[in-house]
Amino acid sequence: MLLSPNGASRSLAAVFTPIKSRGLVDEVCGRIEQAVETGLLTSGQRLPNETELAAALGVSAVTAREALSQLRASGIIRTARGRSGGSFIADNVLPSRERALAQLHELSRLQIRDLALHYQAIAAACAGVAARRADAADIATLRSFIPSADDDSSSWNLAFSEFLLEVAAIARSARLARELIRLQADLGALTLLPCADAGYRGRTTVILEDVAAAIEAHDPSAAETRVKALISATTEWLLTEQAKRY
Amino acid sequence: MSETTSTADSSAAQAEPGSAEQAAAELDATIAGIEHRLTVWAADTGAALAAMSGKVTGTAVDKLIRPVVEELVQLPGGYAAGAGFIANAGLLGPERSYIAWWQGPDLEPVDALANFSPNSISRYVKAEWFRIPVETGQAHVTGPYVDFLCTDEYVLTFTHPVFTRPDAPVAGIVGIDVTVQRLERGAMPALRRIGGRATLANADGRAVVSAAPDIDAGDLISPDEPCVHYPVGHTFTVWSDAVGL
Repeated sequence: MLLSPNGASRSLAAVFTPIKSRGLVDEVCGRIEQAVETGLLTSGQRLPNETELAAALGVSAVTAREALSQLRASGIIRTARGRSGGSFIADNVLPSRERALAQLHELSRLQIRDLALHYQAIAAACAGVAARRADAADIATLRSFIPSADDDSSSWNLAFSEFLLEVAAIARSARLARELIRLQADLGALTLLPCADAGYRGRTTVILEDVAAAIEAHDPSAAETRVKALISATTEWLLTEQAKRY
Repeated sequence: MSETTSTADSSAAQAEPGSAEQAAAELDATIAGIEHRLTVWAADTGAALAAMSGKVTGTAVDKLIRPVVEELVQLPGGYAAGAGFIANAGLLGPERSYIAWWQGPDLEPVDALANFSPNSISRYVKAEWFRIPVETGQAHVTGPYVDFLCTDEYVLTFTHPVFTRPDAPVAGIVGIDVTVQRLERGAMPALRRIGGRATLANADGRAVVSAAPDIDAGDLISPDEPCVHYPVGHTFTVWSDAVGL
């Protein structure tokens, strides 16, 4: 069949695709997990009760209750009864290497490569615009996110994500920034895996410095190339690791 | 939309003397109006917190702040996309902050999960819109910047320190988020009356809204002499003729 302007175009086909939403309960769980991952909520800390959680996140009490029970089932929180009872963030929950490895093994090489291509396209677009718009203060902030090679893997991973978000912030495009955040959510804990490798941390630190230098030099094409190299380094590490399961 | 570019340009060129000044004064009134509202709100908030005599709770802060935010974001033709209060460390607990911030006409709570974190102050201390008013004790305008914390939009954040006593440390900040998009709609008619390359710029010389097709919000710009500079609010300037860097 020909895809003519009057016929069944591919863009029209998308209009009739069923809408799948993660659902509010998953969304609440995701927020709590993210708060734990970023250190906002820490092990042993008491969580708000259903009513408080519902009010804070603007969801119904039923949704909050379901989310808490889902988090309990996945071992992220534990519940204690009695006078000093309540829900608490469990010990050593996130982000774990086991969880990330499980995620990596669920993905095919094709999916990893495709996700990386998308990530590269968005990050490179951000870097190109950032190189045109950066001022001295932007560069100083950007450099503050370059982790040191002896940081532990989870803070190194966090700094890496923040570095790319800062590139998007310097580009000053809300759309590109939102897309980058979405991609980082899709990548989840995956990027934690290479960060445990000192060799990867060393190589990548050099590329992060190169990206910052290209943006500072107002050189959009170098900034784009170097950001792509940054993501390639991560992808290659993940593909090498993923191959080991076969 | 029926107006062609050339007609619009010639009408701007034939503008009566004084009309550029008047257009600039309108822009100044808009921005100064936001700044003034914030100053009044900061004073009211400080007095109300002082009256709580040291027993400040999250619930009490919400009760104090929310009605004002509601009025600001629901004001017809208003500029606020979101607004609120953030407590400095010490007001509710040593390392604890407290955020009472809402956005949009439905008053969606912003970053409210952080209120359950004992070290929530660490989320705000580095942010320009919090750090500068707390350090200087002065009002500040941040941006335009992409606001990852709440709107995920390209915004300006106007913040003002809150004092419970003139000699006391800063108790927190009140702030109003204004999207660049909202400001563009409000400012474009006046900018066009000033000239085809008239640009509203922030204190760093970065375009916020420009009538020129080749200057985008966020671009660094410089005045193209002869260029008239009109002060707008405490920190902004309208340049009658700007060029991109």
